[in-house]
Amino acid sequence: MGRYTIRRLLQLIPVLLGTTFLINYMVWQLPGDPFAGRCGQRPCPDSYVSAMRSQFGLDQPILVQYWQFLKNMLTGNLGVDFNQVPVATQLGDAWPITIRLALLAVAIEAVIGISAGVLSGLKRGGFIDNVVTISTLFLLSLPVFVTGFLLQWLLGVQFQVITPTVSDEAPIMELIVPAFVLASLNMAFTARLTRTSIVENRRSDYVRTAIAKGLTNRRVVGVHLLRNSLIPVLTFLGTEVGSLMSGAIITEGIFNIHGIGGLLYRAITGQDYTIVVPIASLLVLVYLVSNLLVDLLYGVLDPRIRYE
Amino acid sequence: MVEVLSEPAGRGSYSGALLEVEDLHVEFHTRQGVAKAVNGVTYSVNPGETLAVLGESGSGKSVTAQTIMGILDMPPGRIAGGQIRFRGVDILKLPEDQRRRIRGEGIAMVFQDALSALNPVFPVGWQIAEMFRIHRGSSRSDAKKKAVELMDRVRIPGARDRVNDFPHQFSGGMRQRIMIAMAIALDPEILIADEPTTALDVTVQAQIMGLLAELQRDSNMGLILITHDLGVVADVADKIAVMYGGRIVETAPVHDLYANPAHPYSKGLLESIPRVDLKGQELYAIKGMPPNLLDMPSGCAFHPRCPYRREDCATAVPPLYPISGSRGSACHYWREVVDGSR
Repeated sequence: MGRYTIRRLLQLIPVLLGTTFLINYMVWQLPGDPFAGRCGQRPCPDSYVSAMRSQFGLDQPILVQYWQFLKNMLTGNLGVDFNQVPVATQLGDAWPITIRLALLAVAIEAVIGISAGVLSGLKRGGFIDNVVTISTLFLLSLPVFVTGFLLQWLLGVQFQVITPTVSDEAPIMELIVPAFVLASLNMAFTARLTRTSIVENRRSDYVRTAIAKGLTNRRVVGVHLLRNSLIPVLTFLGTEVGSLMSGAIITEGIFNIHGIGGLLYRAITGQDYTIVVPIASLLVLVYLVSNLLVDLLYGVLDPRIRYE
Repeated sequence: MVEVLSEPAGRGSYSGALLEVEDLHVEFHTRQGVAKAVNGVTYSVNPGETLAVLGESGSGKSVTAQTIMGILDMPPGRIAGGQIRFRGVDILKLPEDQRRRIRGEGIAMVFQDALSALNPVFPVGWQIAEMFRIHRGSSRSDAKKKAVELMDRVRIPGARDRVNDFPHQFSGGMRQRIMIAMAIALDPEILIADEPTTALDVTVQAQIMGLLAELQRDSNMGLILITHDLGVVADVADKIAVMYGGRIVETAPVHDLYANPAHPYSKGLLESIPRVDLKGQELYAIKGMPPNLLDMPSGCAFHPRCPYRREDCATAVPPLYPISGSRGSACHYWREVVDGSR
């Protein structure tokens, strides 16, 4: 497994180089001059534009720019954005909030999704099963921004049980509802995946053996059935951690959370690519690493998997 | 011996047999209708005795065993009638908690395909040790020690080193040994082996049957051996119950049945065994198809395939006619079958 891990880590290098190059290249190819609209109503003076272009190396060939980017990333020097504010401090403020939000969302997904899936899978066609099937269908067919605005209006404005927007420090309690919104789609999917997995494994021979061993029903389900049924569910949850972070853009926007999503959103609309590029690159890294961890986790969960 | 044939045991009376199945009816409710899988099966097993239940797939032999074990899927399964008495107590009437305690402690089961019957994600030692931890409340380390002893007892080489291995790391025969070790962990009084050697190589089959016989001698447990393989039966069984269409069609001490079957179906089974002295001749096969459980033939379920059939076979269900001692045959014309005239 050690060799496998090393090989997988080495494989990350070309993928990272390729994706970050594409991000760098594409971002500066987008239409619209990022410096043209920075001087109020009037077009910016040529002297300002050329000064900015040379400060951010835009007058250099793309490969030189990319080399510069790599050097900066590896030395941890993220530079300043177009307003001369250090990028590193902005990211440093935003990341912890998004990570907190994403972890909370994963926890909600896992707890609610898995419990709902197990309960409905055990009593297929029963009342709980119908409730879960209908409510997951509901969640799956609603876009995240609808769920988000709905809960914000319902809980925040109508009933006033939460504050409609999250304060700057983003404490855990205020993040619960946004995390629920962020988790909603995956939660529904987790519930369905768990249900299918439980239904499939419930009739399996080893469950029958566990019953024949005279184990309590709780142990048959809680140990023998669950341990096998959760393998695909946990791998799904793992792969989705990366996409949760990038998926936080909409949720963070709705609840005014000052995380990565909000920062990225403002940077894209403001065409401030000095922020877009490092965030996009970091998201790629998170995605790749979480995928690798899931593949390794899979081998721990299922001893039949062998790495070579 | 099969007491209930010569002197049918009255309901509730404890005749002394360890396990008695009496007039068991099991059906499955499916979308196509009600499949009657077991239609009045009666048999009994005593300590140290081996009962072989013989029959093709769909004959109800495994369903009967699953009902005894309490692992029948209900629904779609339903026990429509009958009793299963273990030491005189009808276990079908026991509350689930007491029923559970009998599993493993009183009656244990070995399944056909050990690879799918063992849990793939737990080490084999852990799975054996679980018996002691749950039923006896043993500590982890004690239970594991006992698991190693059991693996030694079923002769798994290097048991101590392999106790933490997973099922897929063992060969088929070794896996079946682990299955057996798990089943005998708590010294059950009855061991049900459901086609324990079907998935194995012939040489391994003999080893597993030998192991079962040896374990039975040591512990004097009653063994119910479910099989469709006549070759397996001859060496180890004391008595045989042949099942067809959810009924017992013939029951006999093993040598009597081999020497002189009293039911056309048993006779057909024996004749379809390949024989060295008849090499080159066409192999005998029972004509026709096994009965459809959703639409059983009227009268004797075997009559459409039977070379001895007469008109009344299609109308009158044959009871299990007593022949002599513990022998019985559910054929109106069993005398002709025994005489060998056809």
